[in-house]
Parts: sequence; C-alpha cells; structure tokens
Amino acid sequence: MSMDELKTDITRQTENSPRELLTRTFFFLCAALSIVTTISIVVLLVTEAAKFFTLTAPLMGVTGQTASIVDFLTGTTWEINSGEFGVLTLVSATVMITLGSAVIALPLGVATAIYLSEYASTRARSVLKPALEILAGVPTVVYGFFALIYITPALSVIFPSIGTFNMLSASIVVGIMIIPMVASISEDAMSAVPDDLRQAGYGMGATKFDVATGVVVPAALSGIFSSFILALSRAIGETMAVTIAAGSRAQFLNPLNPASFLEGSLPMTAAMVQLLLGDITGGGLAYRSLFAIGLVLFVITLIMNVISDFVAQRYREEY
Amino acid sequence: MATNTETGEIEDFGQVSRTVGTVFRYLLLAATMFGIVMLAILLLYVANDAIRPLTADLGWHLTFFVGLVLPTLLVGWTVYRRDRAALSFGALLVGTLVVSLMFSGGVALLAIDVIPPLVAFAYAVGLVVPTAATVGLTRYAHRISFTTRLIATTMVFYLALFGLPGPIGDPVGAPSLVPSLVEFVLTRPVIPVDRVMVATVIGGISAAAVGSYVAGVRDWTIGLYAAIAAFLASTAAGYVGPFVGLNPVPAVVVTAVAFVPTVAYAWRGAFTEGGSPLGLAFAATVVGGALVGAVAVDALGFAGPQSWVDWQFLTSSHSGTAENAGLYPAIGGSILLMSTVAALSFPLGVGAAVYLEEYAPDNALTRFVDVNISNLAGVPSVVYGLLGLGVFVTYLGRSAGTVLVGGATLALLILPIVIISSREAIRSVPTDLRQASYGMGATRWQTVKNVVLPESFPGILTGTILALGRAIGETAPLIMIGAPNVVFDLPATLGSKVSAMPLQVYAWSSLFASEDFYTKAVPAGVVVLLAVLLAMNSIAIVLRNKFERAG
Repeated sequence: MSMDELKTDITRQTENSPRELLTRTFFFLCAALSIVTTISIVVLLVTEAAKFFTLTAPLMGVTGQTASIVDFLTGTTWEINSGEFGVLTLVSATVMITLGSAVIALPLGVATAIYLSEYASTRARSVLKPALEILAGVPTVVYGFFALIYITPALSVIFPSIGTFNMLSASIVVGIMIIPMVASISEDAMSAVPDDLRQAGYGMGATKFDVATGVVVPAALSGIFSSFILALSRAIGETMAVTIAAGSRAQFLNPLNPASFLEGSLPMTAAMVQLLLGDITGGGLAYRSLFAIGLVLFVITLIMNVISDFVAQRYREEY
Repeated sequence: MATNTETGEIEDFGQVSRTVGTVFRYLLLAATMFGIVMLAILLLYVANDAIRPLTADLGWHLTFFVGLVLPTLLVGWTVYRRDRAALSFGALLVGTLVVSLMFSGGVALLAIDVIPPLVAFAYAVGLVVPTAATVGLTRYAHRISFTTRLIATTMVFYLALFGLPGPIGDPVGAPSLVPSLVEFVLTRPVIPVDRVMVATVIGGISAAAVGSYVAGVRDWTIGLYAAIAAFLASTAAGYVGPFVGLNPVPAVVVTAVAFVPTVAYAWRGAFTEGGSPLGLAFAATVVGGALVGAVAVDALGFAGPQSWVDWQFLTSSHSGTAENAGLYPAIGGSILLMSTVAALSFPLGVGAAVYLEEYAPDNALTRFVDVNISNLAGVPSVVYGLLGLGVFVTYLGRSAGTVLVGGATLALLILPIVIISSREAIRSVPTDLRQASYGMGATRWQTVKNVVLPESFPGILTGTILALGRAIGETAPLIMIGAPNVVFDLPATLGSKVSAMPLQVYAWSSLFASEDFYTKAVPAGVVVLLAVLLAMNSIAIVLRNKFERAG
C-alpha cells in the first residue's frame, strides 16, 4: 500500500461524510435563521407600511383608505378615528421619554462605571454588579406599575398639577431601567484602559480623582458614547413601562419645555400597543399604520445601533 | 517676591487637598446606589401591598421570630464561626428546596390540568422504546453505515409516534394500517391508575437524573441503587400522600421533583468527601423552624397576614372583583410559553453559536451574520411582536394569540441573546482541548459533540436561563400577536389561546384599572412574577458560580 492510498483511507471519513455534512448543514441553517429573521422584519415592515401610504399603495395593489406620507411625517395630530396620522405627535413623546431617561441614566451610569472600575474593591464589585443587573432584569410591565402607583403619587407632592399619566414618572423608571446598560458597557471600556496610563498619571503626582477624570474617562470616551447611544436606543424601544405610565391620549408636546413632562402623551411604542388593543380589522388602515410606526421605530433604533457600533470601532483608542 | 513665592511653594509641596477626591468618591458611590436603593424601596412597597405582614397578629410574628428567626441566626452564627463553607452549603440546600418546590408546583400544574397522565405515559413509552432501539443499534452495529442507521432511526421513531402510514398518508386519505405505539398505549382497555403513570414518567426522569448525579459522585452501582430508591420513593408518595392530605398526583410530583433532588444534594454536600454535615444542621434548623412555627401558630390560633398572594390567588382565574381574581391560567400559560421558547431557542441558538465558533470560515458572510445578530439583539420587542403578527398570524394564517405563535415570537426575540451568550461559553473552551481531540483523529462533529459542547454546557445553560428570564417578563410581543387579556382556562394544546403572568398584570393595571385592583391583585401578581424570576436567576447565578470555580 503506497503512502497516498493510506492517506486517502485515513481521511476518507472526515469533512464530507454524510454525518459531517448533515451536522454542518444543521448548524449553518441555525445561523442563517438570524438573517432570515432580519430580512422578514425588513420586508414585512416595508411592504405593510407601503400599503399605508397614498403614494405607494397602488404599487402594492391596495385600494381603499390610505394616508399621505407628508402628513404622516409632518402632521402633529394623531387621531385614528378621524384619520389623522401625524407621527410627529408620537415621536415628540418618544423624544421626551428618551431625554428624560437620559438625564437620569447617563450621569448615574457613568458615575457607577467610574466607581466600579476605579474605586470599588473586588468584594464591593461582586455585590454591586449583580445588584445592578437586577435593575435591568425586572420586567418592564412591573416598572410601569411602579411608576403609576408609587412614583406618580410621590411626585404629586412636589408638583401638584401632575397628571395621573405623565411623562416624568415614565422617564424616571425608563432611566432606572437603562442605568445598568450604560454602566456595564462604560465600565468595560474603562477596564480596558491599560494600567500603564494610570501609573503614569500617579507618577506625575496626580491624585486618584485626577487620574479617574483626567486619564481614564477620556481614554474610554468612545466606549462611553457608544453605551449612551445603545441605552437611548433601548429607551426608545421600551414599551410596557411607557404604555402603562405615560397615558393613552396622543398630544403634541414640546420636548424642550420642562412643564410638558407633567402631562401625559403617547410614545410610539405605546401607540402600537393601543392600536392593537383597539378594534383593528386585519388589513385596515389602522392595522397598516401599526407597521408604519414600526418601520419608523425600527429605522431609528437600527441607525442608533449602527452609530454606536461605528463610534466604538472608529474612535477606539488602541493601546 | 520671588523668594516669597518660592517659600510658599515649598511649604505647600506635598500637600494635596483630599477633599475633592473624597467628595467625588462618595458622590460616585451615591450614584451607584441610587438605582439600587430606588428599586429596593419600590419592591418593599409592592411586597407590603401584596403580602401585608402588618395584618398578622403580634403573636404570629413572635411565634415565627422565636421558632424560626432566632434559631436560624444562632445556628447560622455558630456554623459560620466553625466552617464558612458549611453555612453556604446549608443556605444553598434551603434555596434548592424552595426553588425545587416552586418548580414542582409548575410540573404538578402541567400534570393535573394540561397533559393527562395517560397521554404523558403513552408518549413516554413512544419515545423510550425507539430511543432504546437506537441506542442498541448504535452500540452493537458498528458495521452499518451512518446513512442506513439514520434512516432506520428515523423510521423507528416515526412508527412509534405516528404509526403507518401516519401523516404521510393523510393527503391521499390512506387508511391507518399499523397504529402507532402511542395510539396502541392510549387505546389499551386496562390502564394503570394515574398516580402510577405519573410516578413512572416523572419519577422515572427524576430517578434517572438523580442516579446519574450520584453515579458521577461515586460509582455506577451506588448510582443505580440511588435511582431505584428515588423511583420507589416517588411511587410510594402516591400512596402515602392521601394520608397527609395531599392528592396522589401532586404528592408524586412534589416528591419526584422537589424532595428527591434535595435529598440527593444534601447527601452529596454532607456525607461525601470534603462534605460539611454542619450545613445540614443549619438547613434543618430553617426548615424545622418554619414547620414548627406553622404548627404552633395554628395550635395557638394566631391569625397570619391577610396576604393577597395566597392559595386562592394562585389557583383561581380572573374575576371582576380584585379579591377573587387569580393568576392560575396566566401561570400555566407562562409555563407553557417558556417550555415552547426553551424548546425552540435552545437548539437553534446553540446551533448557530456552534456554527459561528467552530465551523464558519472567516469571510464576508460570517461577518455579516455577526453584525446582524448584534443588531437583532437591539431591535425593540414590539417590533418582534409585529413580526409575529405579520408573519405567523397574517401570512401563515395561524390563529392569533396561541401558545405556538407566542412561543415562536418570544423564541425569535431571545435567540440573539442565547446565541451571544452561547458563543461566549464556547469561546471559553480552551483550544488545547480541541487540538487534542483533532489530534486523536476526531472529526469536527465528534469534537463538537464530545469536547466543545460538554465543556461549555454550564455556560450555555446559564445564558439560556437568563434569556428565558427575559422572555418570561415580556409583555409587548404577546399583546402584538393578539394574546387575550383574560383567559379562564389553561391552554389545552399548543394551538389554544394563552395568557401570561406579565400580560395578566398589565390587563389588571390598565383595562381593569381601579383602586381595588391597584392595591390587591396587581401587587400580588407582581410579587409572584418577581418570585419566579428570582428563582430562575438564582439557578443561573449558582450555575455560573459553580462553572467559574471549576473553570
């Protein structure tokens, strides 16, 4: 038997035997499922949303009621019964939730990350990190109930004019919910800063405070920003807490006016839940508007995720 | 001037103000604690509303303080002074008992109201027989090629589960020639009683698990004895149960799912090498104290707290009045949904992770899948709900709000999380092990099956349980796929309408919004939901700690 024959005999059973092919195909199909999911989401949202707009509906072969795409994107009234679909109303509410939760979560999250990565002892960290994870693990419907039942009455002591449903309490719980996200991603970025930089700082006579704020935070800035964007994208997509706490009456509010936080409105996600709970007939205008909002939501969160990825990659300090 | 400045500098040299640093440090600590303290306060409020400890008699509190809290503290302190490991073992043992009791409640619910014992028994027979045939085929027939073996295995399973010609014959209306094994068992005129069938199925699974656990600690003969003892205990429970006021079927389930594993764990921790019997004393104090307290309170006639989380709440369905409302159909729905989600997302997620870590070539497609998965993890859950609504309900024509549609939607939702955590677990398997396997001439699949998956299994399991914890709290996707707000019965099949715990809580806090529901039913629902989540997460954390210590 020549060496070559021996080799083929030994390697005969590998790589392309039926068993290997079968298992490899199975594993590949599992991985391919994620692409199928993405494609289905995009195709579904785009086709259904296209049936919603007057401009594109004829292309999809839909007759009957449609809505103008310009009115949809620029209108400031959301009333399904009278056929007014101004998504800006919903977007303004979502922007308010996002701003409000950012005010709470971003500073607290970064401070938490600095504490965990620079100050906390190993023992403290092993207690604090799981405790923070709990914040993200509590179901959002529970947060919504907390906001409605406990936080709003507490706030009404300070702001007597606050409504039963208000943006402030919803923003607070969404902010608490996303603190762990900001903290854990920022902390990862800070822990990745090499010790040499810190030692160099101490060698120059810097205090721990100087090193934390002057060396570690600037070096981890790209990670911190990417955590901000991811957390805010989470706040935008957050559904149950805002559905329960923020109310159900859509009204256009000025996000930059602090007084409007005391009123209730209808963020995009809450509007979708409300549409579903109402009487919507399959294929009707309200049903299709659901997908139009979904598309806006999907596009916004996708863009934010991509930006976060880009910032983390592009501006990462390589050591 | 110059000299003055110089002397001034020299006097200050080495003097650094520590005020700023200290203030900063405590500010950071305060910021870290803010969220945790806020949540703790909210949880205290909701627990107080739901359990209402202040409505109990003073005597009730005193009895439990003297019977349970004081001895626990005393024994705990003593054990801690002698042997810290023993205390943590004792605490884990109590935790195991509590969590497994909760779990057995869920299994009992399935055994009583969802899957009739006869059906479970028939399917168990229909699965065990072909599995045994397959194992025999693999073990004694090496000469048969893989393809033949695969075809034979498939046929055996098909015959056992569907008969001949089975579903293949349906489109042409072929009459059933050979009934399946399942049907055969189902149509026997003489069938064993329920408690025996439940003991065979659930007690059998539990006995096999305990047996292999014990065998892993000692050797297989002792493992076999343990398995037999466990099985006998479960069977006996069906006959002893009625004497202590338990129905036979729940008695069997609780014994098989809660007591038997707890006893096995206690044996392992206390009586094997390096064990700590002291921990057993601690666990006995806690459990004994609780029992003594309960008996004493009953005998002395002290009224307990008028908690809204009571047996009535856990076993009845929705009602128009908050006092009579219950969570039973929602608990059952959540259990069924989670089973479906686990059955779908575990194999698919692990499969994708194995492909990406072990098989995937480094090309553009792989990188695209990679980016795609991390983006899918960031897609809002309502959008997944829309996906379920649009694809499963509208296009595939499944009826809205069923277990299958809900489970599939939630499975898609957590799939990216399962994939990401499984990949991490697989990546942490040392490359040396893989190389050693390849060096022995193993193929890629053999390496995956014998080395990579067993090594990474605890990590994969931890990630999957955490992901399931995320799925169990999700409400929005279920609303989107049209799950009903009010369900009065447990879903009987995968195609029936389902509610879930968070959905029921949402329904009570929005659709039935009233002061009554806000202060009674909703807090109780929240407490039950959080208790289930806590149990799941603690399993995951214990697994993770064990895994990290071993690794």
